[in-house]
Amino acid sequence: MDEQTMIYLGLTMLILVLLIVNASAFGVFGFAIAILGLLGAIVILVLNYADFILFPVITGIFGIKITPAKGYYIPKSSSSVIKYVNGLYYATGYLTANVYSYVFAAESIDQTEEQKLGEAPDKWERIVMNAGFPFRFNILSVAEDVQRYREELEGARGTLEFKLSKEESSSQPSQLTIDDLNKKMGILDARINRLSAGERPVDAVMYIETTAVGVSEKEAQDSLSNQLAHLQTLFNSFDLSINRVVGREVYNLFTFNYSLPDSDLLGQTFSTQK
Amino acid sequence: MAVSQRFLFSLLIMVSFVFTALTYVLVSDTVIKIVLALLAIFTDILAFSTKLYMSFFIPFLTMKGRNAIIDDTEPFTLAPSGNAIVVRRGSDIFASAFLKIPTYRSATEMNDEEKIDFSRLFSRALTITKSPVKFGAQLYVINKDAYINNIKDKLNEAEERYQNASVSKTISKADSERIRGEVTMWHNLFDSVNRVRSQALEAFAMITAQGGSEEEAINLALQQADELASGVSSVFGITATTAEGPDLLKFIEPDYMIPTATVSEQMRQRSMGSGA
Repeated sequence: MDEQTMIYLGLTMLILVLLIVNASAFGVFGFAIAILGLLGAIVILVLNYADFILFPVITGIFGIKITPAKGYYIPKSSSSVIKYVNGLYYATGYLTANVYSYVFAAESIDQTEEQKLGEAPDKWERIVMNAGFPFRFNILSVAEDVQRYREELEGARGTLEFKLSKEESSSQPSQLTIDDLNKKMGILDARINRLSAGERPVDAVMYIETTAVGVSEKEAQDSLSNQLAHLQTLFNSFDLSINRVVGREVYNLFTFNYSLPDSDLLGQTFSTQK
Repeated sequence: MAVSQRFLFSLLIMVSFVFTALTYVLVSDTVIKIVLALLAIFTDILAFSTKLYMSFFIPFLTMKGRNAIIDDTEPFTLAPSGNAIVVRRGSDIFASAFLKIPTYRSATEMNDEEKIDFSRLFSRALTITKSPVKFGAQLYVINKDAYINNIKDKLNEAEERYQNASVSKTISKADSERIRGEVTMWHNLFDSVNRVRSQALEAFAMITAQGGSEEEAINLALQQADELASGVSSVFGITATTAEGPDLLKFIEPDYMIPTATVSEQMRQRSMGSGA
């Protein structure tokens, strides 16, 4: 969780706690106020962790159509962006596609990782051959500040070292804990070594975009759903975390076609994907 | 005037805090206290939602009927030079440039070690610049209008050469047969071009720069694109070039990714096929 989210969550929750603590001052309605305060807290947590559920529910119930730019609209299902040109509907949808298990997040390239890296180009070509419809795989990357990242890693390593020495000097040291701490320190060492070798830390957001065409909005959307399901099946061979993007993020991804956000905005928008 | 997200959050959280404080201070009227508590909860939730929903706040509040308009202007304008797009958001001006990254090698012609190296090169390419960059690979429908015209030209050219060859006495029979073979090849290609789905894969990179004016933003974006092109070219050993005109629009507009005329033709043929 980033600092901004922590501050926002902390302040909003504080107000709700103050209301719940003061519930007795509302007399017979005290219980109702406490329940409402708790419901408020739940809504805030849902907004923070699962707004992709809440947003389409709201637009669906009220039938709200969003116009992100001239010639485009996001239908009430909030699952695609539609453009109407020359009597045809172009529906564009998105899938998240985080390549967690490949080079970007890997801390050590062991035998399995080597194998995965070797197989990746073949898998990619097989996907392209079998897709049979237009799609786009996007990686939005932002380089982090090397010095700040190194300091963070060294700080985390120092904490682990302290825990390890404390565990080792205790009267009954646990071998499991020691092994775990050693493993974590190994990961941090590998990251620090990669920085020393000149590699830059990168934050990346990855997503797949596909467009389907139809003579009606429904045909385009149905066709889009089929294409997205087909892509999900094809990209499964990559061992990816794939989900259809719905709600607010559809609008964000649409805007990324025209201009990229700065690293701060990217962090705020996709903090869970970083 | 655009309201900053942090300002709106601060304002709403302060209002919520004041409502909450009043529920502590007021001792007499329970009804007023309940109303204040409800307002405090509402503004509290509203304050948190500014974090994610800032773009939707004003459109939702001002929407007519059931249509929330975030922006009713064109999503971008093409730079006069045709090699960048310009986006205006309030007083902010952004320009984005696109690089075409050609790939000449297929995995089928690489050995295991080369495949691993290629994947690592790809990883290194992501760290070339500190600015946000979007790398993409796009499978798109080839614009058959241009493709068909190109084949037609080649066919006409080959037919003309064949006619000249057939009346010429200096050209050998073998050469004449070769030109006839070429004519047949272009004929076959021309006949089959509408029957098969023609798609192409192209890799690209996109970079955005902000400027005080359109010209400044465009120049900065193109400058950053040049730097990125040098990096990408040296990593992959290829020549990355800046995309222009329709080549650029193909990366952003769905009707350029899937050309309308080509799709209409495919749909017409599909419906004729199902009707037959």
